[in-house]
Amino acid sequence: MVTVKLFGLLRLDSGIKEFVSEAATVKELYEELKQLAAERGNIITDKNIKSCALLVNGQQADKNIKFKDGDQVIFMSMVAGG
Amino acid sequence: MQSRYTGYMGRVMQINLTTKEISEYPWSDKERELFIGGKIMAAKILSDHFKGTENAFGEENIIVISTGPLTGTGAPSSSRFNISALSPLTGILASSNCGGSFGYYLKKAGYDALVIKGKCSKKTWIEINNNRFIFHSADDMWGTKISECQEMLEEKIKASNGEKAKYGHICIGPAGENLVKYAAVLSGERAAGRAGIGAVFGSKNIKAITAAGNHEIPIYDREKTIEWNKKWFRYLKKHPLTGNQLPRLGTAGLVSSMQMRGLLATKNYTYGRNPEFEKVNGETLAEQYNVVNKGCMTCPIKCARTVMVDGKQVKGPELETLGLLAGGILNDNLQLVNRWNYELDELGMDTISAANTLSYAMEANEKGLWANGLEFGKTEGISKLWEDIAYRRGIGDELAEGSRFLSKKYGGEEFAMNVKGLELAAYEPRMAAGQGLGYAVSNRGGCHLNGGYLVILEGLGLNTNPNTPKAKADFTMLFQNLMEMISASGQCLFTSYAFFPGFLITQPNGPITKAANAAIPHIGFALRAINKCPTALMLHLPVFHHTKIFPYAVNMPMNFGKYIRCGERGYTLERYVNSRFGITEKDDKLPERLTKVPQDKNNPKTVVPLDVMKKTYYAARGWDKNGVPTKATLRRLNII
Repeated sequence: MVTVKLFGLLRLDSGIKEFVSEAATVKELYEELKQLAAERGNIITDKNIKSCALLVNGQQADKNIKFKDGDQVIFMSMVAGG
Repeated sequence: MQSRYTGYMGRVMQINLTTKEISEYPWSDKERELFIGGKIMAAKILSDHFKGTENAFGEENIIVISTGPLTGTGAPSSSRFNISALSPLTGILASSNCGGSFGYYLKKAGYDALVIKGKCSKKTWIEINNNRFIFHSADDMWGTKISECQEMLEEKIKASNGEKAKYGHICIGPAGENLVKYAAVLSGERAAGRAGIGAVFGSKNIKAITAAGNHEIPIYDREKTIEWNKKWFRYLKKHPLTGNQLPRLGTAGLVSSMQMRGLLATKNYTYGRNPEFEKVNGETLAEQYNVVNKGCMTCPIKCARTVMVDGKQVKGPELETLGLLAGGILNDNLQLVNRWNYELDELGMDTISAANTLSYAMEANEKGLWANGLEFGKTEGISKLWEDIAYRRGIGDELAEGSRFLSKKYGGEEFAMNVKGLELAAYEPRMAAGQGLGYAVSNRGGCHLNGGYLVILEGLGLNTNPNTPKAKADFTMLFQNLMEMISASGQCLFTSYAFFPGFLITQPNGPITKAANAAIPHIGFALRAINKCPTALMLHLPVFHHTKIFPYAVNMPMNFGKYIRCGERGYTLERYVNSRFGITEKDDKLPERLTKVPQDKNNPKTVVPLDVMKKTYYAARGWDKNGVPTKATLRRLNII
C-alpha cells in the first residue's frame, strides 16, 4: 500500500487530494489515478500526469520505480512565480 | 513628441515640492537608447544627483517615477511602472515596481517619468491632468487607510473632472505617513511594496498623486505591433507557467513545490519545510478561499487572487505573504493570512518586510534577547500589532525600523533575515545556492527577483542540482540582466518565465529535461562568453518575444544581445550608485544561519556556498574583488 498525494494543477484537474493505492508500478498508478478522476467526472490524461514531477519518499523518482509498502508518493507541478 | 522613438511620450517632468515649480527634465534620445526607462532610467537620474552623502528622509532625496517604452502599448503585462529613491530601510538605491494603472495614465497625461525633488511644507496630494500640475491640501486625507484614501481621491477627481473621469493614482497609508521604514506605495490593490518608498513619500508630505490626460501613446508600426502582441499573448496563454499554473493557482501555487524541495522558509528560516503546509498552500487557497482571479491591465497571466475578509472581496495573499506569515511564524490559519495581507495593504506596508521583522522578533524573544511578548505560533494580537507598527506605538515603533535595526540593537544578526537591510523573500536558499547568491548581491538588498530568481532552475521550474555553486554565478548574472531590462521596458517579470520552452516544464521526467538539468552546472563557460559579449547575439530568440516588439512599437533597433547589454548596464549602474553609499563585497552577505548552519544536519552541503560564487560573479560582471565596478567596466557600458 502506498499513500498518494497530489499537488498543483493535477489536483485541480483531477479533483483528488489524496488516496491510498495498491499499485506496484508507476503505470498501474497512472491508470488508477485516471480511473479515480473519471469517477469524479474529471478526465485526466497521461500527459497531465507526466507533466508532474513524481516524488517517492521525498526524492524525485524515475518512471521505472517499483513501489514498496508504505511509500509516500507525490505528484507535483513544476512552477514559477515571485 | 520630442523623441524619434515611439512608445515614449518624450517628456520627463521635474516637480520641485519645495518651490512648487514644474519644469522639464532633460532626457535625450541617446539616454533613451542607453537607459531605456523604468528602473534603469531612474538609476541614471539618481546617479546624476546622488553623491553618497544623502539621507533617505532628507529634502535631498529624490523620487523618480518612471514608465517603460512598452507601458501602454498593448504589449502583454505592460502596465508596470517603477518608483526609485534612496531607501530609508537599506540606505541605498531602492527600486520598487508596481502593476497598477498609474504608469499608463501618466503616459496619457503626456509624460514618461516624474522626477520629484524637495519637500512639501504641508500635507499634499498632487493632481496631474495633461499640462496641469495642481497641489492640493491633503489635510483631510492624512491619516486615512489605503481604500478610504482611494475613495476620497475618486470623489475629488470626479467632482472636478466629471463622473466619467479616468485616471490613475498612487497613494500611501498610515505606515508611509509615520515613516515606517518598509512602507509601501499603492496603486489600486497593487503595491510598489519594497524598500520603504512609501516612507519617502511620507517624509516629503505627499499622500497621493493622480494622473490623467488624453494623449495618445505613439506606436511606430501599429499594425505590426498589434500582430506581434497577439502572437505574444497566444504564446503566454499556451505556456504551462504563464497560461496555466499562474492563472489557476497564482504565486501561492508555489508553496507545495517549495515544501517538497526544502525551499519553504519556516520558523524564521530555521527549516526549509513546514509540516502544516497543506493548510496554507495555494491549492487550499484555490479550493476554499479564492473568489475570482484578477490581473493587471493588459495582462494575460492574471496571477492575482481575491478572497473575502469581513464580507469584502479583497486581494488575496501572494506566495511571499503566504509563506512568511504562515510557516514563517508557525501559523497554520490561512484565513488569518488573508486578513493580515489585507490589513497590511490597508496600512500601506510591505508584507515581506513586516513578516520577516515579526519572525525575527519572535525568535529574539524565544532566545531571550528581547522580551517583547511575541511567540511563534501565537497569532492573537497580530492585527493590532500591524496597527502599532503603522502608528509607531509601543513595540510597533521599534518593529517599524526593520530586522537589521533590531538585530543591531538586540543581537541575533545571524537570524535577522535580511541582506543590506531588506528582508528576504519566502525562498529558503540553503536548498537553492544560486538563489542565495542572488539575495546576497541583489542591488536593492535581499530580493528574490532582483537577485535573478535562480530558484526557477533549482527545483521549481527545472530541477538542477540546488547545492552546487557551478554555473550559478553565470546564470545569476544572465537572469538579472534579462529581468532588469524586462522591468525597464515596462513589463512584468513574469513574462520572462516563458523564456523556458514549455516542454521543459511539462515533461519533468522526459529525457530532454533530464539532460538539461544535468547539463546546467556544466555550461557556465558558455554563459560566461554570452555575458561577456552579449552583443555578438544579434538575433531574436523564438521563445523570447521581448526583443522584436522594440522595432515595431518603439522604432528602436533591438536584438537579444543588445537587450542583455542594456540590462547589464542598468544592473552595474545601480551597483555604481550603491558603491557611492559604501556598498562593497562585505555587504554582499547572507545571515550566518544560511551560510554556516546546514539545513539538513546530515548534509553539510545544505548551506549557501556564497564566497566561491561571489568571486565568479564579480569577475563575470567586471567588478573588482571588493565588488565595485571597475572604471573599464563603467566605460564599456557607457555609464561614464
